[in-house]
Amino acid sequence: MITFFLVLLQSGNEYNGGAVVAMVGKDCVAIASDKRFGLELLTLATDFEKIFKMNDKCYIGLAGLATDVQTLSEELKLKCDLYKLREEREITPKKFAHLVSSTLYDHRWGPYFCEPCIAGLDENNKPFICSTDLIGCINFAKDFVVCGTTARELYGICESFWEPDLGPEELFEVISQSLLNAFDRDSKSGWGAVVHIITPEKIITRHLKTRQD
Amino acid sequence: MFLTRSEYDRGVNTFSPEGRLFQVEYAIEAIKMGSTAIGIQTSEGVILAVEKRITSTLLEPSSIEKILEIDSHVGCAMSGLNADARTMIDHARVQAQNHTFVYDEPIKIESITQAICDLALRFGEGAQGEESIMSRPFGVALLIAGCDENGPQLFHADPSGTFTKYQAKAIGSGSEGAQTELQENYHKSLTLKEAETLSLKVLKQVMEEKVNSVNVQLCSVTPNEGFHIYSEEEVNEIINTL
Amino acid sequence: MALAGEDFCIVAADTRQSDGYHINCRYAPKAHQLSDKTVIGTSGFYADGLNFVKKIKQRMEWYFHQHDKTMSTTAIAQLISIMLYQKRFFPYYVFCVIGGIDENGKGCVYSYDSVGNAERVQYQAAGSGNELLQPFLDSQIGLKNRSNENETLNLTEEMAIKIVKDAFSSVTERDIHTGDCVEIYIIRKDGVECQKYPLKRD
Repeated sequence: MITFFLVLLQSGNEYNGGAVVAMVGKDCVAIASDKRFGLELLTLATDFEKIFKMNDKCYIGLAGLATDVQTLSEELKLKCDLYKLREEREITPKKFAHLVSSTLYDHRWGPYFCEPCIAGLDENNKPFICSTDLIGCINFAKDFVVCGTTARELYGICESFWEPDLGPEELFEVISQSLLNAFDRDSKSGWGAVVHIITPEKIITRHLKTRQD
Repeated sequence: MFLTRSEYDRGVNTFSPEGRLFQVEYAIEAIKMGSTAIGIQTSEGVILAVEKRITSTLLEPSSIEKILEIDSHVGCAMSGLNADARTMIDHARVQAQNHTFVYDEPIKIESITQAICDLALRFGEGAQGEESIMSRPFGVALLIAGCDENGPQLFHADPSGTFTKYQAKAIGSGSEGAQTELQENYHKSLTLKEAETLSLKVLKQVMEEKVNSVNVQLCSVTPNEGFHIYSEEEVNEIINTL
Repeated sequence: MALAGEDFCIVAADTRQSDGYHINCRYAPKAHQLSDKTVIGTSGFYADGLNFVKKIKQRMEWYFHQHDKTMSTTAIAQLISIMLYQKRFFPYYVFCVIGGIDENGKGCVYSYDSVGNAERVQYQAAGSGNELLQPFLDSQIGLKNRSNENETLNLTEEMAIKIVKDAFSSVTERDIHTGDCVEIYIIRKDGVECQKYPLKRD
């Protein structure tokens, strides 16, 4: 039974493929994902973005089973909007992280096959990133978080490339190079990438052209 | 009682009281009846030349093959019982291919010669269950020519399994005369062209018939082109310069 | 891992030997010198690796006596492929890379799977940390995903050693099977040098 559950959990996360990474910079954060959507090794679409905007200072990237990615993103967006209506203020990334966590834990015994990465700036514009597992265990990181089928590759390369106090442009370069080189070694992700840099003033969104295989 | 050889030349693996293996010696004798073959090594490559004995006008000269390719960088000329050479050359070809397969490099000429000589003494009853393939010594001598990382080389292998490196060597019925001739004309700075001419010149002197493009066979092994058998036209060209 | 430069080559391996979450040994060399032009790095099942290296050395000895010369790196490369394939249906559980200097004096790296599929490459990572290492090497040595496509890398020995050290300290950070110490073999035209550097022991 447990084995069956683990197999399901594994295959659910790896069925569609995908890579998401978020990094902390100096007064900014970056979050990036690939654009591939596939069924195991068959690529079906190359415009499937996995990063969703919750508000101007909070983004979430979801890697995992595509149907759950869409459902969960809608559900989280709904909850964020309700929060805004009720509290008359935007949700901070940290609060949002706990919201994500509890939402996922609600489905403890039939989870969404998604691993989220959250990136944003809090009320004092302090950078915040975190990731959770598919049932909502939060990992607060000070440097970078990764998820998806490319996680191991991303860990290796981010560990080498990332350094503290990167400016927005430097951060863009680091996160792009990390993501691109990592997913080039993963057959289940790639086919274009999108990067969002969140700064107190603005959000920079860039689409990257990559090798198409 | 032991005045004649006849007592000790029956078994192939019995020494005579003087310490001789008559069957092997007889095999070496057999080569002296074979057709003449000549090999000349130069710094540019090695030349092998053999005479073909056309015993009948009805004989198809192209069916006599006395120079064979072992690998693209090794060639071989024979004298003696040609049929015996088949076994040896087959073995050599397998060894050469196997070496290339395992080590991704052409086999050295010395190593391939060694491989051939390993066969030469596998007659009689094999020791330690080692399978013997022949009941008597091979009755053929080989001139093995090739180019490897040590440059062009010429080796002579005889039925006793001994192999020797030569700069120029003649085997077969005309070998004595030819060897003297080679000794006189060989020098280290010989070019490939000169070696071609020299080989045919020597053959011409020891052959009973007149040399022409069908009763001799010529090949060269060079570092760049490897093993190459001369066509009738090419042989004719050289004969014309004699 | 191994990487090749113009006229040198580097083979590096950490020295941790682990079994699941347990560390058996903090100094168990995985890289072995085969000749003064070739070094092999093995990963996978340690006993198979040791035995395999022994077998290669034995074959090299035979070759030396038979052909009166030391095996070249390309010859060793081919031999390894064949030795691995000979055990196709009960393979050596080893993933090896070899690095060395070829006949033309150029640095070369060959990488293998456990059943002898061989490829000549410029750089290769193998073993438990290979997924973490390979993209980093792609970027730093392969110069993948650079905007200037004509960019060429003139890899010097110092740069290469620095990259290797960086790579290993990064992998040690995230891979529990890697750590303790890294041995870096530098193969040059005139011989092999081995340097040792400590890694994190956690």
